[in-house]
Amino acid sequence: MSAAPRARPAFGRSLLRLFTVQGSWNYERMQGVGMGVAEEPLLRDLRVAGNGAAYRAAVARGAHFFNAHPYLCGLAVGAAARAEHEGVPPEQVERLRTALCGPLGSLGDRLVWAGWLPFTSGLGLIGVALGLGFPAILGFLVVFNAGHVALRWWALRAGWTHGVRVAVALRQPVLQRATAVLGPAMAFVVGAALPLVAQYLSGGFLGWSRVALAAVAAGGFALLWWLRARLTGVRLGLALLAVATLAGWLWP
Amino acid sequence: MSLGLLLALLAWGTLVGLDLVSVPQMMIARPLVAGPIAGAMLGDVWTGLTLGVLFELFQYEVLPVGAARYPEYGPATVAAVSAAHAAAGTLGLGLGALVGLISGMAGGVSLHVVRRLNARAVRRATAALEAGDARVLVRLHTAAILRDAARAAVVTALGLGLALLARTYLAGTISARGVMLLDVAAVGSALAVGTAGTLRLVGRGPDLRWFAAGVVGGAAVAWLR
Repeated sequence: MSAAPRARPAFGRSLLRLFTVQGSWNYERMQGVGMGVAEEPLLRDLRVAGNGAAYRAAVARGAHFFNAHPYLCGLAVGAAARAEHEGVPPEQVERLRTALCGPLGSLGDRLVWAGWLPFTSGLGLIGVALGLGFPAILGFLVVFNAGHVALRWWALRAGWTHGVRVAVALRQPVLQRATAVLGPAMAFVVGAALPLVAQYLSGGFLGWSRVALAAVAAGGFALLWWLRARLTGVRLGLALLAVATLAGWLWP
Repeated sequence: MSLGLLLALLAWGTLVGLDLVSVPQMMIARPLVAGPIAGAMLGDVWTGLTLGVLFELFQYEVLPVGAARYPEYGPATVAAVSAAHAAAGTLGLGLGALVGLISGMAGGVSLHVVRRLNARAVRRATAALEAGDARVLVRLHTAAILRDAARAAVVTALGLGLALLARTYLAGTISARGVMLLDVAAVGSALAVGTAGTLRLVGRGPDLRWFAAGVVGGAAVAWLR
């Protein structure tokens, strides 16, 4: 049995809960529990309509395994909640959630982790390297989060609007264009940030230490590139610091 | 360092650690943000900014996809700034990096532990979850967030403890040349990790040309300054 959704679903509450969607991340259901928590306010109409069994079944389904990009989880939350209201068969709701994991994960990783985040962080690094200090940090936080909050809000609304036909939302030209533009923009900005940051960090090095710095950076990069399967940045850093400590004691 | 300041740093490190995965992922967990604010708390913005930039380069290696395991650099940067603050100026960079990298590794391990504890809690509540009990669902989620907050607090406390130990036992024992060598190792490895991490992100496709153009542009600006 389906229940007509309220004219104004509890988007605000659901959105707030989406900011905690990874709070109970675990190796079994991954984001599942957080997804259920975020979806629950949108399902309350089912209970109000006197259909407690449908409400409880929908809440249980909402907390099943899910894994995607956290900023785009709202799309699945909105779509699944809408489908529950429309009385879509349970197995179809489950299939919808499963089908969304891959595309939302891949799109979010390209758009945010490999695009928007390094792009805005690169701008922040350039700002600090050019001597802007705190305003650069504040600028990074404001600009990044403008995109972040907008994406979360859009995802939730789009999911609710399209329901089981949510794939339409993923084909939005704006999303496609943003993904296409952010790759080169991120590469350019982070590329520009690296020499500026190198200059900023090496300001206190003079004479032999400057030559040693260039050698360590180049050698470290070569090691990370060739041994990429085995050597991580943290291991390289700790190994170099250990060698430097030893050398400092032997060469006082 | 006063107890009040230590508690303020602990609170900041906890918020930063919570932001990484749980709530609200607004990127205060990025070293670029965590470091300068820790520095401002200590009245040493320069050290905060410098270590923030240094660990931000390390952060470029991390792509937090799915169940990937990675070091946690937010609380680590707070601890690093605390360690470096005592040895003012460039002298504290290497010491801060040492404390920060060890704390970062500990943070990564602690994330894995919390995820396993969360899985155990979910398993225990399976019957209630399958019955659609919303109260159990919310309680489970809230408990997991609190667990992550406790984790972040422990990691920050560990980092601040390490910072205290480093300041007490290491800072005075290393020669000026030894300190410079530590600084070279810290900055050199950060530049190497930042470059390698970015290149992995950029890949070998057409974006590589944009990266090269950016490097040339950035180098030109650096040269002209």
